[in-house]
Amino acid sequence: MKISDVIVIGGGLAGFMAAAVAANHQQKVMLLTYGSGSLPLMSGTIDIINAKAPDAAIKNLPAHHPYKKIGLKAIDSAAKFFCDVAAQANLPYVGRLSAQIPVVTAVGTLKYSCLVPESMDASNLVNKKKIFVVEIKGLKDFYAAMIANNLKKYFPDKTFDVAKIDLKLLGGRDITCMDAAQLLTDNEQQLANELKSLKAADDDAIIIPPILGVMGNFSRSVITTQIRAEVIETTCLPPSPPGIRLQRAFIKYLQKSGVRVFENSKVVRGVVEGKKVTGVVVANVVREKIFRAKKVILATGGFYSGGITMRDFDNPVEPIFDIPVFFPTGAENWSNKNLFSDKPQGFSMTGILTNDNLNPADENGKILYDNLHVVGANLGGCDKIFERSAGGIAISSAYKAATI
Amino acid sequence: MSDKTQAIFTGDRCLSCTSCMANCPVMAAVKEYRGPKLVGPAHGRMHFSQEDIEESLNYCSNCKSCDRACPSGVAVSTLNMLQRAEYYKKHGHLRSEDMLAHGERMAKLIRKIPFGATFSNIGMGLGKTLGVFSALGIAGERNMPAYASTSFKDYFPRIKQTASGKKIVMFTGCFINDNEPQVGEAFVKVMNANGYEVLIDKGFNCCGSPLVVMGFLDEARQHADNNVARILDWKKKGIPVVTPCTSCSLMLKEEYHELFGEEQFHEAATNVYDAFEFLEILQERGEFNDNFKPLSQKLLYHVPCHLKSQAIGLPAQDILEEAGAKVNLADAGCCGISGNYGFRKDKYEISMKIGAKLFERIKKKDFDKVISDCGTCRMQIHHGTDIKPVHPIEILAKAYA
Repeated sequence: MKISDVIVIGGGLAGFMAAAVAANHQQKVMLLTYGSGSLPLMSGTIDIINAKAPDAAIKNLPAHHPYKKIGLKAIDSAAKFFCDVAAQANLPYVGRLSAQIPVVTAVGTLKYSCLVPESMDASNLVNKKKIFVVEIKGLKDFYAAMIANNLKKYFPDKTFDVAKIDLKLLGGRDITCMDAAQLLTDNEQQLANELKSLKAADDDAIIIPPILGVMGNFSRSVITTQIRAEVIETTCLPPSPPGIRLQRAFIKYLQKSGVRVFENSKVVRGVVEGKKVTGVVVANVVREKIFRAKKVILATGGFYSGGITMRDFDNPVEPIFDIPVFFPTGAENWSNKNLFSDKPQGFSMTGILTNDNLNPADENGKILYDNLHVVGANLGGCDKIFERSAGGIAISSAYKAATI
Repeated sequence: MSDKTQAIFTGDRCLSCTSCMANCPVMAAVKEYRGPKLVGPAHGRMHFSQEDIEESLNYCSNCKSCDRACPSGVAVSTLNMLQRAEYYKKHGHLRSEDMLAHGERMAKLIRKIPFGATFSNIGMGLGKTLGVFSALGIAGERNMPAYASTSFKDYFPRIKQTASGKKIVMFTGCFINDNEPQVGEAFVKVMNANGYEVLIDKGFNCCGSPLVVMGFLDEARQHADNNVARILDWKKKGIPVVTPCTSCSLMLKEEYHELFGEEQFHEAATNVYDAFEFLEILQERGEFNDNFKPLSQKLLYHVPCHLKSQAIGLPAQDILEEAGAKVNLADAGCCGISGNYGFRKDKYEISMKIGAKLFERIKKKDFDKVISDCGTCRMQIHHGTDIKPVHPIEILAKAYA
């Protein structure tokens, strides 16, 4: 059996990114996934950390924070590499580490993020005269009137216009943004015509759900060349076209760079010799198979993805290598009952602690494996949801682990 | 949480995350299908205890993309097939559905007639021209697979093998037995070259895959019981069952247990191997014959959905590359035919729409041959591109010349 240079376990953002970076560094890479990963469910934006100037905020983080181990240089390189992968699939991203960009959410609030698909960049809303919010007949979970009402709170001096268009998308089911985006791929003209009929001017904006195709920026280009106003996509509930575009961009990159991707491959344990991991064991329904590698990157996610499990309270487990998991003990520290308050959740700090090379460490800081690197939501010590760092930690830890 | 369990108990694991919808090729091709999440898992939660039947269920092709997309171990497509069987308890089958589900029975009948295969092949040509298939509900655009003049099992005794203490039983599958016996011959040659004598068990039935997807679940269960009893007999003798058909191996290894649940299905599964999976295990043990006459072909590999589901990597790619071939992956998703799905008149267009990306890739013609382990994938590629693919074992057999 062939020995890979790198095996990446996990097909979410961190796993895809690690596989792409390693392949770009001329490594022979195998990616093992179980389930289709988080990308089709994500907004498409990459939050680095919720601060006016994320790069400055990162400098002030405590030493145990994953970003401190990754370092600003890797974070910066990761952001550039990420945007490059997307750009190669004609999916332009905008943004930089020193500022955040506003994005319109599906309920009409503004969310700030660092790396944003060009189609969702709402920076210019502030300069617009009139803002149209367009609802599509039969499309689930997108209410133009609610979005307009909520946006008015941010832009009280602007005129809002709510429109409803019929793209004849209905068949036998309620349509999601993904359905609409799939149906509009290579079939954009009707949407262009409907948007034209709004007669929006150069200094207006048109806000629509994220339905501009599933292949990069192709469908968007067809629309924007015919419409004078700026067309801006919102985020949406899953399945999410901006996330699907990103997933396709990564898959294209991985295929082009010769990464071997095996689906449905559940890794159940590692093969280890002392402080070295020599392979991983995949269990299918009848037997096990060993895949060997010189280096392994663990990108299996946190609680939500099964990268960390907890059957007994106060005893979280990393199920593949049985690496010790950091956890704020005691029920009183475990959760904050006010779910939407301004305080983090203790359980969200759960994860694996590492050294600067992202090798897993035990309770005493002793490194367990020299060629195993932990990336993404597996990493402990910060509440990634509260501080909005999940995407940034995923791409930058993956970048660092793949380049060590 | 073990994922090795009966499908009916997996519906409760569904978190409604929509991963299955984002990866369903049928949903992407047709608006009428409500999608895997709202069919199998949603109804499976009620263990089909309610009377409500989801009509759009008939769009599911059982390609298993949803199962592979699911992060929670829900046996989505098998839940769909169980629900389909419920549907047919109260609704009759169309003539075409009956025919497409019973390829094995039809082939046996035809072989009882002198020159039956020849006549039926002429008949199928005529039937197509006269629009008979279309009237029956079978896609008139397609050629029905031509019958080989002698089935593989009948031809098998004529193959000269060296007797060996090491033996395997070949599960031929219907398509190789009735339509492409040359694949079976290549299989025997490869196993012989690796020191194994190949046995045939004429008592095996069709694995049941075409029955399951058409809702003939009781009949499929009879096939499963018979096949599993025989596989367990072979297991007692220490002889593995190996098949070059990836839909058969998936049915024997995984779907029997998902559908019917009893432990014997899982026990039998441990004695079943995909052909290249078996060869790779020999390789791991240092028993693989790599005394090749080097291949220099450039191959384009369409990996069947039912192979992707097995989580065994891509042993055919590894082995053919070691034999000197250059193997590129088509990486263009499901071919769309999914067993007999694409043969149904009302599903033909969907099946061709799903396969369009693959056809486009193949039409680049940057290879010497297209390979695929699945018989119906090969038919679909042939139909969609006019390029006839072969089974990877046919290529490997040439390396042992």
